[in-house]
Amino acid sequence: MRRGLPRPLMRAVAVGAVLAAVAAPWLVDDYTTALLARTLLLGLVGVSVALLTGVAGLPTLGQTAPFAAGAYAGAALSLHTGSVGVVQLAAGAAVGAAFALVTVPLVVYARGVVVLMITLAIGELAVVAANRWRSVTGGTDGLYGMPSAPPVWGLPVLDTERARYLYVLVVVAIVAGVTLAVLRTPAGLLLRASRDDEARMRASGHGVTGYFAVAYLAAGAIAGTAGSLLVTAQQYVSPADFGFEISALLLLGVVIGGTASIGGAIAGTALVVVARDWLSGLLPGHAPLVLGVLFVLTAYLLPRGVAGLLGDGRGLTWLAGRRRSGARPAGERTAVPGADAAGDATESRRVSA
Amino acid sequence: MTIGAASMPGPLDAYLIPALDGVAFGLLLFVAAAGLVFCFGVADILNLAHGTLYAIGAYTAAALTDGGWGGLLLALAVGVAAAAGAGGVLAGMLAPVRRGDHLTQALLTFGVALAGGSLLVSAFGPDSLPVRIPAALDGSVVVAGHRYAAYRLVFIGVAALLAVLLYLVVARTRAGMLVRAAVDDAEMLASLGVNPAWVRVGVLTAAGALAGAAGVLGAPIIGPAPTTAETILLLSLVIVVLGGLGSVGGTLLAALAVGEIQTLGVALAPTAAPFLLFAAMIVVLAVRSRGLFRRWRTA
Amino acid sequence: MPFTVDRSSRRTPHRIRRALPALLLATGLVVSATACNNASQGAGAAGTLKIGLLASLSGTYEAVGTELRDGFQLYLNTHGGKLGGHKIELVVADEGNGAPTAVPAATKLIKQDKVHALTGIVGGGSMAAVTPLLTEAKIPFVGSNGRPELKDVSRIWHTSYLSEEPGAAIAQYVRDNVQGSVYAIGPDYQGGWDELKGFTDAFAKVGGKLANPDGKTRFTPFPATTNFTPYFAQIKASGASAVYTFYAGTAAVDFVKQYAQSEIKNLPLYAAGFLTEGGVLNAQGDAARNIYSVLNYSPDLDNAENRSFVAAWKADHDGSPTTYAMASYDAAAVLDKAIGAAGANPTPEKINEAIAGLGQIDSPRGTWQFSKKTHSPVQKWYLRQVRQDGRALSNTVVTDLATVGE
Repeated sequence: MRRGLPRPLMRAVAVGAVLAAVAAPWLVDDYTTALLARTLLLGLVGVSVALLTGVAGLPTLGQTAPFAAGAYAGAALSLHTGSVGVVQLAAGAAVGAAFALVTVPLVVYARGVVVLMITLAIGELAVVAANRWRSVTGGTDGLYGMPSAPPVWGLPVLDTERARYLYVLVVVAIVAGVTLAVLRTPAGLLLRASRDDEARMRASGHGVTGYFAVAYLAAGAIAGTAGSLLVTAQQYVSPADFGFEISALLLLGVVIGGTASIGGAIAGTALVVVARDWLSGLLPGHAPLVLGVLFVLTAYLLPRGVAGLLGDGRGLTWLAGRRRSGARPAGERTAVPGADAAGDATESRRVSA
Repeated sequence: MTIGAASMPGPLDAYLIPALDGVAFGLLLFVAAAGLVFCFGVADILNLAHGTLYAIGAYTAAALTDGGWGGLLLALAVGVAAAAGAGGVLAGMLAPVRRGDHLTQALLTFGVALAGGSLLVSAFGPDSLPVRIPAALDGSVVVAGHRYAAYRLVFIGVAALLAVLLYLVVARTRAGMLVRAAVDDAEMLASLGVNPAWVRVGVLTAAGALAGAAGVLGAPIIGPAPTTAETILLLSLVIVVLGGLGSVGGTLLAALAVGEIQTLGVALAPTAAPFLLFAAMIVVLAVRSRGLFRRWRTA
Repeated sequence: MPFTVDRSSRRTPHRIRRALPALLLATGLVVSATACNNASQGAGAAGTLKIGLLASLSGTYEAVGTELRDGFQLYLNTHGGKLGGHKIELVVADEGNGAPTAVPAATKLIKQDKVHALTGIVGGGSMAAVTPLLTEAKIPFVGSNGRPELKDVSRIWHTSYLSEEPGAAIAQYVRDNVQGSVYAIGPDYQGGWDELKGFTDAFAKVGGKLANPDGKTRFTPFPATTNFTPYFAQIKASGASAVYTFYAGTAAVDFVKQYAQSEIKNLPLYAAGFLTEGGVLNAQGDAARNIYSVLNYSPDLDNAENRSFVAAWKADHDGSPTTYAMASYDAAAVLDKAIGAAGANPTPEKINEAIAGLGQIDSPRGTWQFSKKTHSPVQKWYLRQVRQDGRALSNTVVTDLATVGE
């Protein structure tokens, strides 16, 4: 059973959104363009959060860590070699994935709120490291003075807000598109099935932990890519870009967007970031109050968009035009506190039965 | 003063005060975090506004303490009532949210924390505020040859008393029995005719009262400032994670460990200090990854 | 344009002044809603100039940010809302906690409001992050607080100080007045590193000895450290005769209150002045008594500029002005002189050239001038001590220290 708008209308909305995104830098001033570029790339980090939180069922507060790793890698390349955009992107993705590889054993064996806490700690430690590793990160003041670079060899350098925005838009569209495409293949099905019924998957001989590990590495690469986009878009990097506040905003944006939906992740993150930046310009000093009220209202008004911690990532998945993978009623797995978090799906089934 | 070998203290002596201070700090965190533990363990609510409840108590202390015992007691009464009331309001706000839907709870309570923090700053200003404790406590005493803040020493006693009371309430009273039952099996409790909505209101009010008490009594140690709520929330979350759920003993051990990490740990390994807390959390979680959130038997 | 403040209207009663921003905000909202896309180059009415002020109006540094805003506003209020003969439209934006909020706010001021010059900025990190925008837009920046290490200062000026300077200014005094070694401790971030390095380098140069076991400053996690007791135990064990430190905001309150009840409470405490500056002194209360600090300003300085500045400030505010408010007041004074010297049509380029040509500037802190090299003040520093002043505690000037800057 699908709810929400009929598919042709959804398509029309999606096409309209894409057209608006492409035309935006000609319709608004430079300030708004710069804001939109930052918003889009944070949306890409949101995609990595949604991949873990919604699709794989591993709620995360730590994707700022590979995001930071990718950003510092991109910044170092840019400062020392003046390389082109695609090379920085590749470096960001590689370093983000490498960071994920180092931390993957900490994450994939845990479930539920434990994952949330482990990733929170990973994110906090990454910020502490970024603050102190001065030779690489420039310390608390960060790195700046990165020169504008061309996106690929032979093209002009990205020296206007419009050019930087379009570059970010193209990269975000490609990465989000690839993520969406992969999730529609059997690989995506395996991941969602592992999330929904880990015990049955294990019983059928599937290496669930391996699937989660691959998803975690992919999410690291996506966040790392977004990190190198950050360097291009704002031409500076500092540890303040990766703090707990950003992690929380990302997770909440993804929740607003429906937890497991790629398009929803970008839209939800964008809503939160725009609200923060735009409101702080409009109401100096009162942005937290309005943002707080926005969150409270969202929790009440978007119950379908914020449906459940684990497994139940069915929220706005229809935004991405996917069929739902299971027929179990929403929330069944989380109905018993801690059962899902026990990390033992057999026990979970026994208790909830 | 000249420096001579004779006046140099023994190797362990330098760590005496940090270790003692770790107990004070840990007990403060225990009282602050206990409410969050019960929110999660009993009512299954992830309450990210918990630090704000502490901040309400701390700001009340700043507003009402006047350097006398009457002011302190008044602040304690008002602070506990205000934070408990805020907890009750939070329970009402959370009523429409489906049980166990942690992400929606997080969204709602984080929003309340943001807005509440902003309101507190509007009301009390952006500065750290002074707390005027009774003159008799506003000095220092000598402990085994070292000078130590008198208030903190007394606080250790008061907080220890609170911990014992909490243990007795959970272990010996009917309310405590219900709490333990809820931790073990929430559905069975519902089938016994206990209304889950009232459990939620009761737990959040009690959590607010505890956090409010911690805020008033702890204000001279972690005082009212715009960052207070976040500091308390993060430390409380760490304690929840380390201590397991619904167990007074586990929470106390975790709180004392966090307290000692932040005091004795700093004294022993100052350069590693910034990494200690979260590194310890990761190590514990990674080691007990699966077992941690299995319910520990209460108390 | 949303928060445009036009204070050509003279002094209004306190209550109305409080309500004014809200009122202006409301009208600003309506205006910006109707004329949103009308962001032409900011010379609307003939002769009106737009100045952008970026400061933390929310978050950890809100107290400092509001001082910056009020100091600048005070200068406008006492000078008929004009700088250099031009009516000024002051556009205020919120820097928040640091770079992630500061950059969008600065982008808005520069690209949407198209200000002629920018001032303010509390944090060094925010300042560093905004630098590329300033370079691209080619407008002058007259900063009034945070000053990171910068490669190119051709359009960047500061009325505050370099972070190394307070420590450098007090080192000789500490050397002369402390019998024995000094323990150096500070917060673990760029500002802390610079402040403490300024002291330890100059202190070593005049033959001072640090009590720290390895000769290196002890840095405490920032802003995570709220409990300093374990560090005090280390200081005790080190056998130090005095302590030098730099903290600001909440950390300054915690440090001072805990110090006063610790086992090293009898060791003299020397600090960069921010330890006891502004609202934190009220929160520290008696615990702050007798602390020595070095700063470029004290409200009890005896000169004509300062007397009128303090009087005007106290008419609007409860306490005395801080160095933050003073630096922002001076930023307005710098822009006043520079715009006046920049001719009938002051472009950002001309204003910048005029700033470079300014000589001595009369200020509440005494006269100072911009260093040709660092574009920050060559100024005198003062030793102050927290003493009873009537009913309140106050930073009282004890003696003049060195004049620092090159």
